[in-house]
Amino acid sequence: MTATEIRMVDAIREAMRAELAADPSVVLLGEDVSVGGPFGATKGLQDEFGAARIRDTPISEAAVMGLAVGAAAAGLRPIVEIMFMDFATLALDQLVNHAAKLRYMSGGQLSIPLTVRMQAGASGAFGAHHSQSLEAWLAHVPGLKVVAASTPADAYGLLRAAIRDPDPVVVIEHRALYWGRGPVETGEAAIVPLASAVVRRPGIDATIVSWSRMTVTALAAADLLAAEGIQAEVIDLRGLQPMDTATVLASVRRTGRAVVAHEAVGFGGLGAEVAARIGEDAFDALRAPVERVAAPFTPVPAAPDLERAFVPDAAAIAAAVRRTLARPDPRRRSLEEGR
Amino acid sequence: MPSTVPSGALPAPQRLPQLRTMLRIRRFEEALIDLAQAHDVGHFHVYIGQEATGVPALALLEDGDVAYSTHRNHGHLLARGVDPNAMLAEILGRATGTNGGKGGTLHLASPAHGFPTTSASVGGPLPIAVGSAFAFRELGRDRVSVALFGDGALEEGAWHEAANIAALRQLPVVFLCENNSVGAVTQQAGDYPSSTLAVGTLADLARPFGIPAAVIDGSDSDAVHAAMSDALVRARSGDGPSFIEARTVRWPGNQGIWAELVTGRVQVHYGWDAATIPDPHRAWFAEHDPVVRAVREALAAGAGRDAIAAIDADATREMAAAVAFALASPWPDADEAFANLYADPRVNALATGRRAAK
Amino acid sequence: MLDAETPGALPRDPAGALALLERMQLLRAFEEKVAELYASGQVAGLVHLAIGQEATAVGVCGLLRPGDTVYGGHRSHGHALATGADPERLLAEIAGRVSGYARGKGGSMHLVAADTGFVTATGVVAGNISLALGGAFAAQLRGTGGVAVAFFGDGAGQSGQFHESLNLAALWRLPVLFVCENNGYAEFSPLSAHTGVERLATHAATYGIPAVTVDGNDLGAVREAAAVAIQRARRGEGPSFVECLTYRLRGHYEGDPAKYRDRAELAAWRAKDPIERLAGRLADAGLVDAEAAADANRRARAIIAAAADAVLASGPAPAGDLTTDVTA
Repeated sequence: MTATEIRMVDAIREAMRAELAADPSVVLLGEDVSVGGPFGATKGLQDEFGAARIRDTPISEAAVMGLAVGAAAAGLRPIVEIMFMDFATLALDQLVNHAAKLRYMSGGQLSIPLTVRMQAGASGAFGAHHSQSLEAWLAHVPGLKVVAASTPADAYGLLRAAIRDPDPVVVIEHRALYWGRGPVETGEAAIVPLASAVVRRPGIDATIVSWSRMTVTALAAADLLAAEGIQAEVIDLRGLQPMDTATVLASVRRTGRAVVAHEAVGFGGLGAEVAARIGEDAFDALRAPVERVAAPFTPVPAAPDLERAFVPDAAAIAAAVRRTLARPDPRRRSLEEGR
Repeated sequence: MPSTVPSGALPAPQRLPQLRTMLRIRRFEEALIDLAQAHDVGHFHVYIGQEATGVPALALLEDGDVAYSTHRNHGHLLARGVDPNAMLAEILGRATGTNGGKGGTLHLASPAHGFPTTSASVGGPLPIAVGSAFAFRELGRDRVSVALFGDGALEEGAWHEAANIAALRQLPVVFLCENNSVGAVTQQAGDYPSSTLAVGTLADLARPFGIPAAVIDGSDSDAVHAAMSDALVRARSGDGPSFIEARTVRWPGNQGIWAELVTGRVQVHYGWDAATIPDPHRAWFAEHDPVVRAVREALAAGAGRDAIAAIDADATREMAAAVAFALASPWPDADEAFANLYADPRVNALATGRRAAK
Repeated sequence: MLDAETPGALPRDPAGALALLERMQLLRAFEEKVAELYASGQVAGLVHLAIGQEATAVGVCGLLRPGDTVYGGHRSHGHALATGADPERLLAEIAGRVSGYARGKGGSMHLVAADTGFVTATGVVAGNISLALGGAFAAQLRGTGGVAVAFFGDGAGQSGQFHESLNLAALWRLPVLFVCENNGYAEFSPLSAHTGVERLATHAATYGIPAVTVDGNDLGAVREAAAVAIQRARRGEGPSFVECLTYRLRGHYEGDPAKYRDRAELAAWRAKDPIERLAGRLADAGLVDAEAAADANRRARAIIAAAADAVLASGPAPAGDLTTDVTA
């Protein structure tokens, strides 16, 4: 099938449509999903699949998540839409204490094939309750899987994989990417394995690791650097839990330099995890300390200017890459010192 | 028009000031909708159609009382005297805003006016309001806490938990639910008036807790005044919480995700010359618009058309000036983003890695 | 009362009546064994017993059929047993042994016996109520006629999830039975310290959910109320709420001296022991005499003793299991 250019929000809908059509046990639950929600991701699905399977829910995140977990335990494959990731806080008991643990606590008797779509990210001056990137919280919980797409094709492929997965998967969708277009192939071949990082742009001088919207920003940074003759390799992690560190390590072993960029705040963020893995498993290849580019340690401010200052930009990522390149190569230095 | 006003109703001389506040809210929101066409305002919610609830209800609060509002908070703040300049500046993210640009439309706050914070998490203000009531009681302060919320908040577990504690401890809190879903037919489902709450009336949710509940027409400022007066007496006498469901018919411009001025601006002369109301939205203006109703009530109370037109002109001018003020205001210093995360500036600097501005 | 025409009425045949009594005796013997093993250090952790509440578990679960599902809380050994779960595997689970239902990974508060429809228990008060909604939703969507049962205590009634779940169940007419075991105490304090609402069934009425409050120590009363509710659910008429007034004869957990309760109160409830009451009633009806009841009790105790012996002979949960079953 040939790829057509569609928006990410439409790719998300197409992925749900495909799985809803393929498997009668797939159901969709969320606030105002019958009319498409605030961003239109679910528009038309109720007309096609009926009100029994496409269900509007009260604003009761805890009970809706619990219901979905219970339904998953009973063999359905629910998709829950959390309108803003910030409101996942209200459903954390069910997500963290139940969805994530029921397989383990039951010694494998139970399976929770649940997909939770969460729209996230800072854009449009929505303020501190509608803008957070909380992926590190969720990726920290054994039993949950977490993915985030940066392209419409991945949004399609990862979501289909998530719905088919036997475990609870949180799919993070960045609001700022919803309306971006990209080629999307449909069909089985387009399904993307959950833990599969991908090299978005090859390079030899440094590795930039990112996900979600920051991958788009990282690619822009790579353009800036290319103009200076620096060839940065950009890796889109896609899977955050589990994480395909092999792809990252292979790249860093070639480039010797790494920058991790994410929109969530830096402290305790997944950038620290990536940096630690590189430090543990590719230390010998490193020619400079791993740099992290992340949001400052603050809530998301509302003012458009402050919000722009909050979200890392291409210049910040490019500057971090340059810092890794400006470091004297420690191996060369030790060679010189030993001479 | 009733010839006698109900007990607890507003004295005639206060009709005009009440209308003034309602008009100021309306002109503010209209100005904001216009402003959003040309400037990056982000998503916002307007209070049009609910003025007759917030204005009389909040007018009864005293200094030191607090109110917790929602994403639809502009009218509440204006009703308690917050400066529209600072509010519009905040909505535009300017340094002169009520929160220095860090809150935005969803989180307008003005502690000095009794709005400690505004939560955009539906249901979020309810336990917080109960907490303030608890503090007032523990501290022996004769103060009342008001939770302002929409019908959707009652779908959250936070409502149930907050109501239970308020009733158990007989706390001085008023739950003022602004149900603006009346007539939104898509909301209806099965045998229920709402697609999302399996109850006959929203007030039914208060009754198991023994919380006195009143269901009133939220576009009837006298009914709001009376119900709120009762609730405040109860709270100040130590008789515990009250629940008020104030029902309003949704303004046509609030049917979509983004507020749109589909009705055009309200004209005060709709109040004395209904024939001038344009057709598509005649029913809403004539029957449900609280501002038009307040114009009629002010006339009945003896106010002149000229006086009404004059306060409207003032309100329109005031909001135009607020727009100009907000647009002329500076953006916040980028360092401001790092300030006020923690109380101690040294801790703040340690956590953010930046020294706060100033 | 012993009327076969009444849904859920106690069986008129001696064998059927005796089976119910013996099931309650089995629960009592099991819980007493857990207390004994806890006291001797063979069982670790936080263990909550439902001694004195056997009539609710047996009363409701005795009416279920294959395909129905049950969701318990932290005090749910009895609920699992009442669905027919294997006492040896349950005890092994509580004792952290490899022969447990979850090979020791779940423990007392997280029992799962998928084979008998006991889907899960939870250590989070009220956390299971919405899980039961999910089981009911699946049954509704598939048209199986299956019913989901949530057992929870009076402490759960003050949780937001309780409100959200009752509302959602009513809104969607889910085939779910809410069984509130109101034992008068939420953790270490009486219900009156938690809420001004005396009967939690009051909340159900708010959402139009048919609700009834019954003597939870009267097996017949519990069965009759539950039977009506289950029939209603199977007919597609939505949820029901049964509040069972009962009492736990032990503390909140093993090791809790329960000094917050007075002796007279405890003695009064001991006199209302649900097992003795049922035995007396069956004897009066000429269905089960004292001797048959004692024989049944001996059989129940023998089953539990044998189970305990097997559990103690079983190995501990193997270290190799630590990292299995996190994901599929």
